[in-house]
Amino acid sequence: MKYCVPAKIMKIRPYLYTMIFLLLAVMLSIAIGSVIIPPVDLGRILFGWLKGVTFSDPLKTFAFILTDIRLPRTALVLLTGAALGGSGAAYQGLFRNPLADPYLIGVASGAGLGAVLAISVKWPYSFWGLLAVPVAAFIGALLTVFLVYVLARVGKTIPTTNLILAGVAFGSFATALTTYLMLLSTGELHRAIAWLSGGASQAGWEPVLAMLPFLVTGLGTLLLSGHALNLLQFGDDQAQQMGLSVTRTRTLILLAASLATAAAVSFSGIIGFIGLIVPHVIRLWFGADYRRLLPLSLIGGAGALLLADVIARSVMRPQELPVGIVTALVGAPFFLWVLRRAKNQGYW
Amino acid sequence: MFRKLFFVLLTGTLLAACNPVQTVSSVAASTESPATAVQAVPSITLTDGLGRTVTLASPAQRVVSLAPSNTEILFAIGAGAQVIARDETSDYPAEVLTLPTIGGYGGFSLEAIVALHPDLVLAQGGGFNSPELVASLENLGLTVYVLPNPPTLEAMYTNLETAGVLTGHGAEATALVESLKVRVVIVDEKILPISFRPTVYYELDATEPTKPYTAGPGTFVDLLIARSGGINIGAELQGQWPQISLEQLVVANPIFIILGDAAYGETPEKVTQRPGWGTLTAIQTGQVFPFDDNLVSRPGPRLVDALEAMVKLLHPGLFE
Repeated sequence: MKYCVPAKIMKIRPYLYTMIFLLLAVMLSIAIGSVIIPPVDLGRILFGWLKGVTFSDPLKTFAFILTDIRLPRTALVLLTGAALGGSGAAYQGLFRNPLADPYLIGVASGAGLGAVLAISVKWPYSFWGLLAVPVAAFIGALLTVFLVYVLARVGKTIPTTNLILAGVAFGSFATALTTYLMLLSTGELHRAIAWLSGGASQAGWEPVLAMLPFLVTGLGTLLLSGHALNLLQFGDDQAQQMGLSVTRTRTLILLAASLATAAAVSFSGIIGFIGLIVPHVIRLWFGADYRRLLPLSLIGGAGALLLADVIARSVMRPQELPVGIVTALVGAPFFLWVLRRAKNQGYW
Repeated sequence: MFRKLFFVLLTGTLLAACNPVQTVSSVAASTESPATAVQAVPSITLTDGLGRTVTLASPAQRVVSLAPSNTEILFAIGAGAQVIARDETSDYPAEVLTLPTIGGYGGFSLEAIVALHPDLVLAQGGGFNSPELVASLENLGLTVYVLPNPPTLEAMYTNLETAGVLTGHGAEATALVESLKVRVVIVDEKILPISFRPTVYYELDATEPTKPYTAGPGTFVDLLIARSGGINIGAELQGQWPQISLEQLVVANPIFIILGDAAYGETPEKVTQRPGWGTLTAIQTGQVFPFDDNLVSRPGPRLVDALEAMVKLLHPGLFE
């Protein structure tokens, strides 16, 4: 291979740091909730599981809360954060734009429109009726990306400027339509607002299992496209000269990132900021090589969203804040702090 | 076209609010001797606001209320002692404030609800408690009943009786409904001879004084204003909670301005000082009154209090 793996990439320290961060976040997410499970009891439960002991109250209730509420929620948040962090890094590389996030070309506004449309219809209370909102959001998101892609195409190329502009324009259109639908709606307003502000979802393992295949496909593709994204940073012409099929690569990355984001958004609502700042923080700390930036953003996104979720469900206990509020409220100052301290200025 | 859409949505709400099927059956088989039949507990099976069939082995003794209207209903029918937790916004009657909360508008804590071991979670339809929340609680093995969002006073009465059956206070609920009906009839008879129907503007939110939010057709505010012998100027608008432009307000020139946003600090004095509002007849004649919006925004027994309060405002002569 011409672009062999330099020794720098092999350094495992960045992976070690982010994995420790993620592990800490997972542990916090399991330990902290609106019901306080004393660490002693937590230990007893873990020990009991290993031994196969049946519990009596209050351990029985605590164990039930852990297996049926906290673990599935932790898994859902982890996957959502990974999708947003990974897609965010890919979008930024694809558009070579520091402002790019997973929602740049309309995934969020399309999903929002789909969700609000589904919410305004009275579905029968059933398995399929409950799936209507996430399915409509997923379809809305992918349809929007497809439309924007078609609208932005010039001949056989897709200029990034066109993509961004078409995405922003179509996004505004979809958002306006969503607001209009919400004004017309009768009584379902609260549900729509809860969905749009992020973090509203059905509990249990079903959402986790439903989004998993899309995430594996999307994020798997992204993890393999680090080298291609590195080439794209030189500009389209140069990348083409270096042997990259620019249009095809770009389409593939766009599709993979959108698929992962759409699946995440469908079950978790619109959570802002993670997909924007996590890749930047990773870039500031560990450099801009996309072969490393992509996996690290994925791990970092999962950890960051887990932390935000822990805060969202503990500050106003037992009431929960929409996690989207926390990501922006805590994420923005944190990012500004990282930015001020950054040694490698002009990293972009 | 929007009218049609609205109609479709309204029909949906109405259908959802149809009387639940009530059957109180005995588990005891007919072959059993009277002695054992006495010990058998009658089970309760009802169809809730989402069309779910809910069965209780016996009247619920540990109830978690997920909405302020539900809390008010439970306490009004004498089931207050069986309520073990409430949502954040439940604040009436005052004694509920000592109950633990399990979340609220921002989100409910499944963990906190599970940890309380309720034998019934009473949810409210119409958007306040989402179907996703109901499904989550159901999957956790809890018994959830969704009281439909009532479009009429009669549907609200049905909710009271349903709550009575679920908690074993059926007789008290029926008595309460009867007394509420009597109070409504008294109001109806009082305003029957009156031909004067004043126009009313009901304010929900005037953060933007040039286009404040008001109550549209199909809401309880609209219904109660009409029932109190008034005309809601918001009835002409689209949607349940529409914005009315100041221009439209000046043209409609309502006789009364009712401040449903009084709890957020709006006062008749402040309304008078709003730019452009001075020309309104209601302001010149001083017919601007604060109103307790909780009475109308929570579909419970206090809707009748709201009706009586509204009649006193619109037709003070009847009560001299």
